Amino acid sequence: MANLMEKLKTWARVNSPWAIHFNSGSCNGCDIEILATLTPRYDVERFGIKLQGSPRHADVLICTGPVSLQARDRLVRIYEQMPEPKFVIAVGSCGISGGVFQGCYNVVGDISEVIPVNVYVPGCPPRPEAIIYGVVQLLKSLQE
Amino acid sequence: MENTKAPEKFIVAIGPQHPALKEPGHFEFTVDGEIVTNATARLGFVHRGMEKGTEDRNYVQDLYLMERVCGICSHVHAMAFALGVEKLAGVQAPPRAQAIRELIGELERIHSHLLWLGVAAHEGGFDTLFMYTWRDRETVMELLEILTGNRVNYSANVIGGVKIDVNKDQKDALKYGMDFLEERTKHYMKVVTEDETFLGRTRNIGLMTKEQAELLGAVGPTARASGVERDVRVDSPYAGYDMFPVKLVTEPAGDLEARFVVRINELYESYRLVRKIVSKLPDGELTVKVPRRIPEGETISRVEAPRGELFYFMRSNGTDKPDRIKVRTPSLCNWASVLTLAVGHKLADMPMILAGIDPCFSCNDRMVTINRGNDTQVWSWEDLRKYGIAYYK
Amino acid sequence: MPTTKKIKVTSADILANAHKALQPWTLSETTPEENRLDITVDASNIKNCVQALMDVKWGYLSAITALDRAEFETAEGTTERTPVKGKGNLEILYHFCSGPVVTTLRVALDYQKAEIDTICDIIPSATLYEREAAELLGIDFKGTPNTEHLLLPDDWPTGVYPLRKTFTGLSKKQKLGNKEK
Repeated sequence: MANLMEKLKTWARVNSPWAIHFNSGSCNGCDIEILATLTPRYDVERFGIKLQGSPRHADVLICTGPVSLQARDRLVRIYEQMPEPKFVIAVGSCGISGGVFQGCYNVVGDISEVIPVNVYVPGCPPRPEAIIYGVVQLLKSLQE
Repeated sequence: MENTKAPEKFIVAIGPQHPALKEPGHFEFTVDGEIVTNATARLGFVHRGMEKGTEDRNYVQDLYLMERVCGICSHVHAMAFALGVEKLAGVQAPPRAQAIRELIGELERIHSHLLWLGVAAHEGGFDTLFMYTWRDRETVMELLEILTGNRVNYSANVIGGVKIDVNKDQKDALKYGMDFLEERTKHYMKVVTEDETFLGRTRNIGLMTKEQAELLGAVGPTARASGVERDVRVDSPYAGYDMFPVKLVTEPAGDLEARFVVRINELYESYRLVRKIVSKLPDGELTVKVPRRIPEGETISRVEAPRGELFYFMRSNGTDKPDRIKVRTPSLCNWASVLTLAVGHKLADMPMILAGIDPCFSCNDRMVTINRGNDTQVWSWEDLRKYGIAYYK
Repeated sequence: MPTTKKIKVTSADILANAHKALQPWTLSETTPEENRLDITVDASNIKNCVQALMDVKWGYLSAITALDRAEFETAEGTTERTPVKGKGNLEILYHFCSGPVVTTLRVALDYQKAEIDTICDIIPSATLYEREAAELLGIDFKGTPNTEHLLLPDDWPTGVYPLRKTFTGLSKKQKLGNKEK
């Protein structure tokens, strides 16, 4: 019985994940490309992924930026409020290593220093197609 | 989330974050009934420590760093920086390069104004307009990609000139693109100046007089919408603006509607400039040689970003790394003016007034603190936006 | 529609107006670049200078730059530069713009006694610039209406001014909030 519930949950998650977006201090380059994925030309919603505002209803956290010290605790809090199972997509080079800001005094850099990350989408910023590819990769990995 | 209106207190069930957690309020408004009596801001979510970072990187690396102060206006930052270094080095980039800098600068202005038009419309609840403007904006993103290879962070500047050129096919694409966008922009102007619901949220709201704008040091379209004749491209031409001058666009009214009208009129000017530059691009080199070590000195580099005057103060010390780079973004100027201005206006008008200065929207998740008598509440930006829309229904 | 006769004002006129307004308090004056006027004044006169410019409606306050004018020594055989203790000073630059001209009021301050009057009672919007200079370089603006951090996080260590040349960064542990992950 538990196995069947697991399968159903995975199916629901794979086919219609709810995502929340958080900017941890990025220059906005990645954020506007994420927003562009919502517009008719890229239309990420046709994959079933829905961007909404509450961490309590989110399966996926899409995070941009190199984690400024001011945003750090907020990021942790948002991650903690998400129900299990939860996944994190780090969009942009900043989330990998700090990008160009590596070493600057007010950034942590790698998002995984603060919360676990499942998928990194490199680019400065990555194109909307690349962002959607990252999301699809996550969905595929959930099926396995 | 529910809103229940009681005669004196406004009770709001807080959104996702627990009210007991001390949230650093991004904006803080104190209200007396409906009217704002004090407004302050607490920026810092996007503070990365870049000015200090420039001191550890050489000038070439710093060019790539400064491009990323803001993803929406990266070209003007790189251009201001490159122009400053060139002044310190005592060189001038060749005319073709300066004209291409202006070309990319105007294309950036177009993308930024269209982006803002959509975002500001969204703040007021006009989501169809948001979708249309962002769809049309894809045209200019494509043009920028055809020219530079990237949709965002075009990286066209090098210290000493530009690294991209413009060929005949690109020129044709630009001309075609400008014609398309100009036609679409006529439609936006109509909505902004004739749609009743839109005017209900913009006409006579957020008034800033010419005197206030001058005293508070407002810059860019925000100042020009109050009749202030202030535009760095006109006052102190740089890059290609000597060869291809821009016409100053102002509106006297000083309200939100004027801020929309000014930016749309600036779009028309940008379309005109792009066409002009494309048809009369000067021949010649794309770069001039610049030494690795920059002689000691200080310079000020001012350019007109889409949001207003961008101010760079740069100090060199004879090495290949700068001593100090100070960046004053136009949004900082306009925050200062709008926070002073907010006093006396209705809380429901705050989302549109704040959007009206075209702030660099750093977090979609901005938090707002509302102080009402002895009662303090923390709202999300989304709550404030919805409050404004509901108020005017 | 009323027409106003536009008198063509040259940048030389604009420069001359600034020079004239600030004459009483000018300690020294240079024109480092075309259309730029740098005027060094004493900290005690800052309000007088700003008021003088506002009285003749000379432009607008565009930015306030705070500088650390440390003196450096280079370790032998390397290119490593370190600030020399006891030498150097802080400097605040108030940049006013009018048309193409930038007039900068320059004030030198001691590291140990880095204080100056606020100009917020004359120009209310200066509060954001003063807050920034205060937290990044440790300058005390006497009477400024808001001393909260503008850019630095709430838990930033007190007394640490990141734009001073002596600051070389936080440790990773400090950046993660002094918590073990």
